[in-house]
Amino acid sequence: MYSAAQLVLLFVVLSDLAVLGTTRLSSCIRGIAAQGLLLGLLPVLVAPQLSVHAVSLGVGTIVVKAIVLPWLLGRAIREAAVRREIEPLVGFIASQLLGVLAVALAFAIASRLPLPATTQPLLVPVSLATLMIGFIVLTTRRKALMQVIGYLILENGIYLFGLTQTESVPFLIELGVLLDVFVGVFIMGIVVFHINREFDSLDSTRLAELTD
Amino acid sequence: MTQESLVALALLAVVAPALPGIVVKTKSLLTGRRGPPVLQLYSDLWKLVRKGTVYSRTTTWVFRAGPLVALVSLLVAALFLPLDGRSAPATFAGDVIAFAGLLALGRFALVLAGMDTGSSFEGMGASREVTIASFAEPTLFLCFIALVLATGDLTLSGMLGTPLAAAWPRSGATLCLVGTSLFVLLLAENCRVPVDDPATHLELTMIHEVIVLDHSGPDLALILYGSALKLALFGVLVVSIFSPRAELSGPVAVAVLFAGLGVVAVLVGVVESVTARLRLTRVPQLLVGAGALALFGIILELR
Amino acid sequence: MTLVAVSLCLIVLAGMAGGLSRQPAAGEMLFRVLLGAGCVTGAVPAVEVLAGGTVAELRFVAAPFGAWVFGLDALSAVFLLAILIVGAACAFYGLAYLAPERGHRAVAAAHLLLTLLITALALTVVARAAVPFLIAWEVMAVVAYLLVVFEHERPEVRRAGLIYLVATHVGTLLLLAFFATWAGATGDLSFAALAAHPPFSDARSGIILALALVAFGLKAGAVPFHIWLPEAHGAAPVHVSALMSGVVIKMGVYGLMRTVLMFGAPPAWWGWLVLAIGAGSGVLGVVWALAQHDIKRLLAFHSVENIGIILLGIGAGALGLAYGHPVVAVLGFAGAALHTLNHAVFKSLLFLSAGSVTHATGTRDIDRMGGLARRMPATAAAFLVGAAAIVGLPPLNGFVSEWVIYQALLRGGSARGAMQLAVLTAVPLSLMGALALACFAKVVGVIYLGTPRDEGAAAARESGRGMILPPVGLAALCVAIGLLPVAVVPPALRVGGLVAGSGAEPEVSAVTATVFALALAASLLGAWLWHRVYTGRRRPLEAVTWGCGFATPTPRMAYTASSFAAPLLATFGSFAGTRADHTASSFATHAFDPVLDRVMIPMWRGVSAAASRLRPIQRGGLSRYLLYIATAVIAVLLYLLAAGRGP
Repeated sequence: MYSAAQLVLLFVVLSDLAVLGTTRLSSCIRGIAAQGLLLGLLPVLVAPQLSVHAVSLGVGTIVVKAIVLPWLLGRAIREAAVRREIEPLVGFIASQLLGVLAVALAFAIASRLPLPATTQPLLVPVSLATLMIGFIVLTTRRKALMQVIGYLILENGIYLFGLTQTESVPFLIELGVLLDVFVGVFIMGIVVFHINREFDSLDSTRLAELTD
Repeated sequence: MTQESLVALALLAVVAPALPGIVVKTKSLLTGRRGPPVLQLYSDLWKLVRKGTVYSRTTTWVFRAGPLVALVSLLVAALFLPLDGRSAPATFAGDVIAFAGLLALGRFALVLAGMDTGSSFEGMGASREVTIASFAEPTLFLCFIALVLATGDLTLSGMLGTPLAAAWPRSGATLCLVGTSLFVLLLAENCRVPVDDPATHLELTMIHEVIVLDHSGPDLALILYGSALKLALFGVLVVSIFSPRAELSGPVAVAVLFAGLGVVAVLVGVVESVTARLRLTRVPQLLVGAGALALFGIILELR
Repeated sequence: MTLVAVSLCLIVLAGMAGGLSRQPAAGEMLFRVLLGAGCVTGAVPAVEVLAGGTVAELRFVAAPFGAWVFGLDALSAVFLLAILIVGAACAFYGLAYLAPERGHRAVAAAHLLLTLLITALALTVVARAAVPFLIAWEVMAVVAYLLVVFEHERPEVRRAGLIYLVATHVGTLLLLAFFATWAGATGDLSFAALAAHPPFSDARSGIILALALVAFGLKAGAVPFHIWLPEAHGAAPVHVSALMSGVVIKMGVYGLMRTVLMFGAPPAWWGWLVLAIGAGSGVLGVVWALAQHDIKRLLAFHSVENIGIILLGIGAGALGLAYGHPVVAVLGFAGAALHTLNHAVFKSLLFLSAGSVTHATGTRDIDRMGGLARRMPATAAAFLVGAAAIVGLPPLNGFVSEWVIYQALLRGGSARGAMQLAVLTAVPLSLMGALALACFAKVVGVIYLGTPRDEGAAAARESGRGMILPPVGLAALCVAIGLLPVAVVPPALRVGGLVAGSGAEPEVSAVTATVFALALAASLLGAWLWHRVYTGRRRPLEAVTWGCGFATPTPRMAYTASSFAAPLLATFGSFAGTRADHTASSFATHAFDPVLDRVMIPMWRGVSAAASRLRPIQRGGLSRYLLYIATAVIAVLLYLLAAGRGP
């Protein structure tokens, strides 16, 4: 049977595929909030014994990834008054198929990596898959907000990979990862609002008009 | 071909028209109405059977044969399903392909019967029906491949019967994904929201309803009964995946199956009340999404 | 073997009789009798071999370039059977089809060439040495070209013939290279000697297998080598298209299977490549077929799709051999062989009935037809049987061969290792089936059902007996094979076992499948009879089509073929090969072949442009040419000087 950690990891992949397949921005933000919640549960489930360190990491992740960031993004949508995503560069069907291909590649690569026997079996493939799917969203979507979401998924993938090292790595690395996310979103937020105010549109393909 | 399995099949054939009734009743209750009685379809069928038939002058024998071929193919397809969770009345290696082929035969007959009238409405419905079917069939095969990999058996009795029960501890996640994918396929193949609205009468939004626009009387009764039976068949697929009944005795297994069918019908009613119909160009996307779930299940199985 | 020789002589005699006799009626009668006798005589040893017997070989030792050997094993027998059945049907049909053209075209020559084509095809499959094989292959290609350009006064027919001729000769050249690389320095070119070859190095076996794939793929019409197929099959007279689609392209399949038989176990990369080409050809072929409205080009693209299905079977078989799963290998090759026979039967059926339709309505565009089921009931029924067969619906023959190929793919799933991934190709196979259903629902619906869209269609009448009997006979054969899998699956497994070189007997439960098919057919018939009795008692009313209450429907309101296929083609986007031209007041869609128009022609133009840069070398001045010669001589002398000087 499956352990709780494996179930959570499977739902993380499902949330990735859901973000790839949905057309509405608000559903994408809800998807990434759900992903943040799942990621927050993981340090508690993966750690061999319950420690203050693991619990605080989990709570902190939930607060940042599942509450604060989606709220910021939600505010960004409301202020910029956008609702839907227009057709991505490769088409929705093709991007879903690419997503599944990314999952297959991740599982194939992970089975070839030399990993210590104590790691959760699904952790590395799911982290690689999340990474690749975040990259797909980042490169194939036109709206700047979707690209922010893609970047966040990418960071989630790195976070998942970092969970394999919870034993031997000091607390500072976790803070560094979360701060990284903060900084990234802040910059993207500033860029998004400036784009909106200056150019009256959040369509990043129109950034190409900046060249002469 | 045991006596018990044939009796179970006969019971399924009798109970099938109750399922659309349960769906409509659920939808009505969720929207604050009382709704028609659950057994309404039986009265409709009885009324239609006693009516006369009107055939269009444009039509040929293809139009008259359409509803018959559709119903016969569904009944023969039902012979391959293990209703008691262990064995089906008929089985041979590769009968999953016969199952898919029989569904395709029924669809082909109904689409041609629609084109036979020479009306633009039926042509439109036919075009949309084959478009959706072109995405539903690969998804169905993805689910079957996942079942083959999980159970190692090439027959439907094996894929939904005892080997399935044995595969649950090892491949539980895959089977859940396949079950979800099959539920989405159920919505697509039986023309439920979010793929098609069975209650609409706006020609531009119909798919299945519009193909059968010109059938009347007993032919229409055959078609309505056939669509109820198809809902029951797909319901059996979904229920068999989520509740393997190999350990239960015959009558108990069949009773559990019918209870499961009722649950599936209620679930369909809930989904129909909660979601809106998708734009037609988004339907392939939904089916590819269901296929992606099944593919994810296959990846987990191949690992 | 002597029976085969007798049958071939009879067939050639039939052609000469039909061609040279003074009175057309007597000539046709003689043609029919001799051809029928020839085909039956040839079929007897083929059936005997398929049922498990053996046939002696014929050797001609004192022939140029080594001994000429002819033999008939199970693999040759199944192809010979297809050739004779389809050849007979097309020849008889051709008599009636070309009869009106007798005064102003070389009709007698066409009949003679057709019999020569059948003979060349038969010789190709019974040849057991490289030289008679290549000679028969070349004769087949040239005779087919002559038949394709039957209506040579039309420029598009000449263009199609040219593309076909170039493609087939590229294939022949590659075949020469193939046999040369294989045989190497030995002089014995018989297949037995080639099969008993010492193990090759990886590079040499790679070159041999790649050459085989390209050369036979060109003949078979696999994507991306299919570009000549729609052109040639669209331009030829319809009974020639039927013969070409039915059996000439199968010679490529025969070559691939004979290669696998002689090579032993091909490496895994070749199996994966064949599988990929099969899946690609299948899906792309049917998508392009969906876009067509010319009935002959549409059927030609469907041949590309079915070649894809056959290649899936061959690929599965090759992978089974490479990874050591004899059951998968036997099933894969058996499915490929059975689908070859089945496709030959139902594709020629479809072409011949399409020929009757184009003959009766005077147009090839399906958007100008409609309502022909009332006017041509026998042709419509035969076409419907062929359409249901090609979609793979039970209880017809297409279902039986697709069922065997699916089993090969699905059983690969229970293997361990890389072989398991082959099971995913069942998904493109199902996509092909669903798209074929869409395409043939469109074709049957637009041509035969509804109301006539044009005066030509309204004035159509049923063809004469000569043009009805061959399609109806082929339809009966489709039904017979479909209802009795127990009669065709064991011989197919024998062929599969021969090609895979293994005695594995996969458990295929053909008997239960037969019971299923018979039960299904019986219930359909029973339901139909009950319906006749039931509606006989209460007479139904007749009225105009209701169509939601619109009282005056016209044919212009019915769905056209391009609108039927539009939603599907929109999902496939730019792969679909359609182009819409619209002005303010008109709209037209055109279907083109994306590989030809977007890949091959720009490539040729690029090569031509690069080559034209070399044109200044050939200005024509004599002094310049003398300068070239002198430069070349001096360069050679300098080279010899430098080489001689080396240590």
